Amino acid sequence: MLPFDPANYTIAAMACWFIGLALFAAGRRRAMARVAAHGFYLAGILVLAVLAAQLWQAMDRAPMRTLGETRLWYGMFLPLIGYAVYLRWGYAWMLYYAALVAAVFLGINLLHPDNYDRDLMPALQSPWFVPHVIVYIFAYAVLAASAIVAVKGLILHYVKRDELKELHLADNLVYIGFAFLTLGLLFGALWGKEAWGHYWTWDPKETWAFLTWIVYLAYMHHRIQRSSRVVSSLWILSLAFVVLLVCWYGVNYLPSAANSVHTYAR
Amino acid sequence: MPSAQHNDSNNGRAPIWVPPWRYAEGWLISLGLLMVGFALQWTGGGLNPGALAWPVNLYVALIFSGLLAAAYLFARDIPFIAWLGRVPAAICAITLITFLVLIMGLVLQDDEVAAPWVRRLGLSSMTNSWPFLFAMFFFLAALGMATMKRLVPFKAGNFGFLLNHLGLYVAVLAGLMGSADVERLLMELREGEVVWHASDADGHVYEMPLAMELIRFEKEEYHPKAALIETESQRIVPDSVMDLFEIHTGITGSLMEWEIEVHRFLPLAMPMVDRYEPVMDSGSGPAALVTATHRETGEQREGWITCGSFAFPHQLLALDDERSLAMTVPRASAYRSQVILYTPGRDAEQIVIEVNSPYAVDGWKLYQYSYDDRFGRWSRTSIIELIRDPWLPAVYTGIFMMMAGAVYLMFKGRKPDAPNGGGGRHAAV
Ligand code: HEM
Repeated sequence: MLPFDPANYTIAAMACWFIGLALFAAGRRRAMARVAAHGFYLAGILVLAVLAAQLWQAMDRAPMRTLGETRLWYGMFLPLIGYAVYLRWGYAWMLYYAALVAAVFLGINLLHPDNYDRDLMPALQSPWFVPHVIVYIFAYAVLAASAIVAVKGLILHYVKRDELKELHLADNLVYIGFAFLTLGLLFGALWGKEAWGHYWTWDPKETWAFLTWIVYLAYMHHRIQRSSRVVSSLWILSLAFVVLLVCWYGVNYLPSAANSVHTYAR
Repeated sequence: MPSAQHNDSNNGRAPIWVPPWRYAEGWLISLGLLMVGFALQWTGGGLNPGALAWPVNLYVALIFSGLLAAAYLFARDIPFIAWLGRVPAAICAITLITFLVLIMGLVLQDDEVAAPWVRRLGLSSMTNSWPFLFAMFFFLAALGMATMKRLVPFKAGNFGFLLNHLGLYVAVLAGLMGSADVERLLMELREGEVVWHASDADGHVYEMPLAMELIRFEKEEYHPKAALIETESQRIVPDSVMDLFEIHTGITGSLMEWEIEVHRFLPLAMPMVDRYEPVMDSGSGPAALVTATHRETGEQREGWITCGSFAFPHQLLALDDERSLAMTVPRASAYRSQVILYTPGRDAEQIVIEVNSPYAVDGWKLYQYSYDDRFGRWSRTSIIELIRDPWLPAVYTGIFMMMAGAVYLMFKGRKPDAPNGGGGRHAAV
C-alpha cells in the first residue's frame, strides 16, 4: 500500500491541462493568459513527474513494472511530445489532442486503481519497454490525425466534387508520425535483441509493424514525385491507416499469428 | 540531380522502354522479378539459408555495393541506371516488398501442414524464397542508387537524407547478409556440472570456446493473490475478478461479501500436520493463514490456504457450500541463473544471466532461455542460449543512423509543394 493516493495527483494533472487548454482557447490575444496557459499545461506534466518520483521513492524501485505504472509514463510523455510538436510546428490542436489521449490512459488508472499493482512479466521489464510504447502511441495518434485529413479529402472529392488544394498538413503529420513510427520500430528491434536474442524475427506483429511503416513510406515517396495527384495520395494515406489498425488490433485474429513467439516460457 | 523534364507529370503517356523510364517499366520489371522468382521456387525449391555464410556474404555485399557505385559513377546515362535512382523505381520496389510481406503477414509461416502449392511457392517460408530475395535486392538497388545520387557530390544539405537512406541501406544489407552467420545454440546446465558443448536447432553438438557451470537457478515471484473460487469448477467467481488482492502479512481485503484478513504470509513454506512452517528448501511454496468474515452474518472461517508446489497439493478454505478462498499461483517477476563462466586464458568468474539482460563475452551473448518448469523456482537445470551475430555492429550502425534521421525528419518536416508540381525534391531531408 502506498502512503499517498496516486489518484489525487492524476486528477490535479488533468485539472492543470484543462485550465491550461481553456486559457489557450480563450486568451489567444492576451499575453498574460498565454503565459499562464503554457504554465498550466506544463504544470500538469510536472505533477505527474512528481508522482512518478514519489512512487519511485515509496516503492524503492523504478515505477515501470506494472501496467498502471507504464500508463503513468504515457500520460506524462504524450503531452510533452505534443507540446514539443506544438512549439516546432505551431499546431495548437496537437496540445488538446495529446492531453486527451493522455487523459484516457490516466482515466483507466483512475477507474482501476488496482492496476498500480498488476504485474509485468519479466520479458517486459526492460528499459526499452516504456520508450518503445510511448513513441508508438504518439505515432499512432499523429497518424490517426493524418487519416482524418485523408477521409476529409476523399469526401470532398467524391461527394462534394471539390478538391483539397494542398496536403501540407497531412504531409507534415505523416513526416512527424513516420519519424516516431521509425523510432518505435527501432527501439523494438534493440529491445528484441536484449530480450529474445534477435532484433528482427518476422513475428506476425513485427511483420505488420513493418507493413504499416512501408505503406507510409510509399505515401511519402509518392508525394515527392506526384505531388499533383492528390486523390491517389489520399487513397494511399487511408490504406496506410487501415494497415495500421490491423497491426494494432487485428494481428491476433489472423491465421498467420497462430504461433507468435513473443512470450517467455509461457 | 534529375531535371524537371524527368518529372512524369509533364509527360504522362510516354511510350514504354523509351528513356526516361518511369512507372510502366517499373511495374513490368517487378512483375518479371516475381515471375522468375516464383518459377525458380516452384521448380528448384527454396533458398538454402546457409549458402551465404562467411565470407561469401562479405563478397556479395562488397560486390553489390561496388557495382551500384560504379554504375552510378560511370554509367548513369544508361536508362536503367538512371531510372533506378529515382522515385518511380523506389515506389515499385517498395510496392513489391509490400506485396510479399503482405503475403507473409496473412499466411502462417513455417507451417508444416500448409497446402502443398502454398509450400511449393514458398508462401509459407517467405524469407527463404527466391521472390523475396529478388525483391530485396531490387529494393536495395533502388535505395542504394538514390543514396549514391546524394552522396556524390557530397553536400551538407543532404545530411538528413543520407542518415535515412544510407542508414536503411546499411541496416538491411547487413541484416540480410549477416543472417547466415548468426549462430544460436543451447547449453543445458545442471547444478554443479561444467558444460563445454552446446547444440543447435538440428541437434548438432558443438564444442564451445567457453564453458559454464550452474550454481543456482533463481526464479523470483510476485506475491500470490487471494481469490474467491467456485469450489467445484475451481474457477474464479467472475464478479470478484477485479477484487483479487496481493497477500501480505497483516493485510485485509474484501471479496464479494467476505472480509479477508491475512494473519501470516509465508513466501516459502511446507505443510506440517495441521499447519505450515517456513522452510527454505526444494519443494516449498507460499502459504498464508487467513480469517474470512461474512459481512452480514458475521460467520467466520479460519485456516491455511496455499497454491501448493510440486511437492505438496494446494489447499482451499471452504467458505460455504459453493465457494472457497484460494491462493493464486504466483507470477514470475524474474528468472536468472548464477553461473560460473570459464573462458580460455582467463580466470573463472561468477556471472548472472537474466531475462532481458544477456551477458556478453567474446562475441557471444548468453541469454536465460528456459528452465525445468515442472519444478518452478526449484528447478536445478537452466537452459542458456548462446548467440553470436558478427554482423550486429554493422546493423546497429544503420539503426542508429536511422534514429538520427528520424529526429531530423520530425524537425524538418516536408517543404510545401513547389508551384510547378515538382514537389519537395530539393528539400533538405
Ligand atoms: C527510412 C526510410 C526512408 C525515409 C525516411 C525517406 C525519406 C525521404 C525523403 C524525405 C525524401 C525527399 C528528399 C528531398 O526531397 O530532399 C526522399 C527521397 C527519395 N527517396 Fe526516400 N526515404 C526512405 C527510404 C527510401 C527507400 C527504401 C527508397 C528506395 C527504395 C527511397 C528512395 C528515394 C528516392 C529515389 C528519393 C528521391 C531522391 C532524389 O530525387 O534525389 N527512399 N526520401
